[in-house]
Amino acid sequence: MVRFWEQRAKRGIVTEHPEWEEEMAALRKGLKKGIHKHFAGSLAIRMVDSGSCNACEAECNALSNPYYALERLGIHFVASPRHADVMLLSGVMTFNMLPHVLDAWEQIPEPKWCITLGDCPLLEAPFTQTYAIEGPADTHLPIHHHIPGCPPTPEEIIRGLLEFLKTLG
Amino acid sequence: MTSSRLIARYTIEHADHFEVITRYADTAETLHLPKEAPILPSLAAEHPAAIWFERKMQDDFSLRLEGTWDTRPLVQQEHFPHNTHPLLTSFDATQSLTPISAHPYPYETVDGDGVFEVPVGPIHAGIIEPGHFQFFQAGERILHLEVRHFYKHRGIEKMLEGTDPLHAWPIVERISGTESLAYQIAWRDILLQATRTELPESLRRYHALLLEMERIVHHLTDLGFIPNDAGFGAALAIASRLAEDARRQLKTLTGHRFGFGAVRQDIPAAYDPQQLLAWVKQLEQELQTFSDWILDVPSLWDRFDTTGILSRDDALTYDAIGVVARASGLPLDRRDTPWYRELGWECITETSGDVAARFLVRLREVAQSLTLIRHLAEDAAPVNTRLGTIEDGRYEAFAESPLGELYLTADLKGGRIKRFFVRDPSFVNWQVLHRMMPGNIIADFPLINKSCDLSYAGNDL
Ligand code: SF4
Repeated sequence: MVRFWEQRAKRGIVTEHPEWEEEMAALRKGLKKGIHKHFAGSLAIRMVDSGSCNACEAECNALSNPYYALERLGIHFVASPRHADVMLLSGVMTFNMLPHVLDAWEQIPEPKWCITLGDCPLLEAPFTQTYAIEGPADTHLPIHHHIPGCPPTPEEIIRGLLEFLKTLG
Repeated sequence: MTSSRLIARYTIEHADHFEVITRYADTAETLHLPKEAPILPSLAAEHPAAIWFERKMQDDFSLRLEGTWDTRPLVQQEHFPHNTHPLLTSFDATQSLTPISAHPYPYETVDGDGVFEVPVGPIHAGIIEPGHFQFFQAGERILHLEVRHFYKHRGIEKMLEGTDPLHAWPIVERISGTESLAYQIAWRDILLQATRTELPESLRRYHALLLEMERIVHHLTDLGFIPNDAGFGAALAIASRLAEDARRQLKTLTGHRFGFGAVRQDIPAAYDPQQLLAWVKQLEQELQTFSDWILDVPSLWDRFDTTGILSRDDALTYDAIGVVARASGLPLDRRDTPWYRELGWECITETSGDVAARFLVRLREVAQSLTLIRHLAEDAAPVNTRLGTIEDGRYEAFAESPLGELYLTADLKGGRIKRFFVRDPSFVNWQVLHRMMPGNIIADFPLINKSCDLSYAGNDL
């Protein structure tokens, strides 16, 4: 334990990719401003997976690693839809998940927005229609914004959220 | 144990009968069931893990089960229309289903004074895949857990039927994203067999390296999230940074952060083993620091030790595999081959079967994967492998995904996929999860579940 802190002190804060850091800093600033303006500094997201391959979730989890540290900007992934402003939907809409997704959407108080994450919800990923898939998500929900990618990288998700904020004016 | 380890049970439909294949570790058995009376004798008594395979066959093919206590639907949930068996050839893959009014699912029951149930899911708090957990509680203590899945069922098996095997790649690599490289390697092996093609050694080594990269990302992520579920967030901050570095290395190698598309391509001309080895060296040091630090946090190990124990006997009875089995003392790993042993691979096991053991297996496996990469990274030129023409037949392949043994089979006919069957390691391990629960408190469930880190997507298909 002592050794750990020694190393930690010796190392200090490391910036490994200065250019990338600069770009991220600009993105973060934009996000923070947008969130401040439209959501009083705190944007609550309820992530719902309606049939993903789990890579989209992995990238969302990566958003909280120290490189991206999304929480610092006031973006929170919340446990209950009742605390959410936004539903972030990943995966194809499966027959078995559809009623639960609609249920979660209903529980989110107005005003609310649905953002689709990755190519799956709009059926643009390689998966083809089967009996178990209930068409593209926009046939069931009002999709306000889409973040494309398979999966979208954490950076692309951050850019996507920024674009979403811009659509709000 | 009456017979050897059960790997999978699945059905292939023929004109006048169903063929049921039971794959064990060292043999396979085949049953032919007439279509007028497709009655399948259950293996549930000897192999409890056969239950989901059998219930799935009942849903998919209308087989009738005999000699089992569990004939509830598995994949077909509350709104699923009756008498619908999507894997029958007569069923059109793209037809849409008309939901029926809900017929409640009969959960298992536990009786007794004061026993109550806690339903959790399918949508969970946090960023996780959906699935349902039904807890049977006596106060804080868990008496029993029923795991109910298949919310994410996409119909992958049916989706692939009729596809040209060479065009199946994009779907196969997206069945379970965090195990994508293992799926790709298994699919590669199927195609190699079907086209009677030899794999050039340099490509074999390169793919093996990618598989270890996938394992490193996966395990590092868990090494952060497991302590985080015990309230130790600092570990997540460190391990998730290391995992992100590894993910970026995978992107440098393959052009994709999860390696989608990597195995069907050639070794990239830009492949730079020296750059990779420099990162390996750095991670080895950081891992050592992480390991020295985290092994020395007594309050954390207080939570890990003796939590969620899977006994060796249960692991055997339930045919457990992967990290879960190895942490309970079973040396089961598909890399157990002379080829890997020559690279210095050894099976890593622990004996205590608890969260601590599963954490330690992962920690040691990351170190081992790094050593393997040291041996596998070498200058390699593109090899331009040409696959021959596809020959009809039945092929099977295995791979050791970060979760455990992956089993994939394909029946090819007329150059197309007639039947695609895959058994994700999670499909077996989900069925053993409940054995880790009795005596634990419900608050420790996320920790125990995370220590197994199973795939929902690969399980639900
Ligand atoms: S969009 Fe791609 S990465 Fe995301 S869930 Fe779908 S297949 Fe997986």
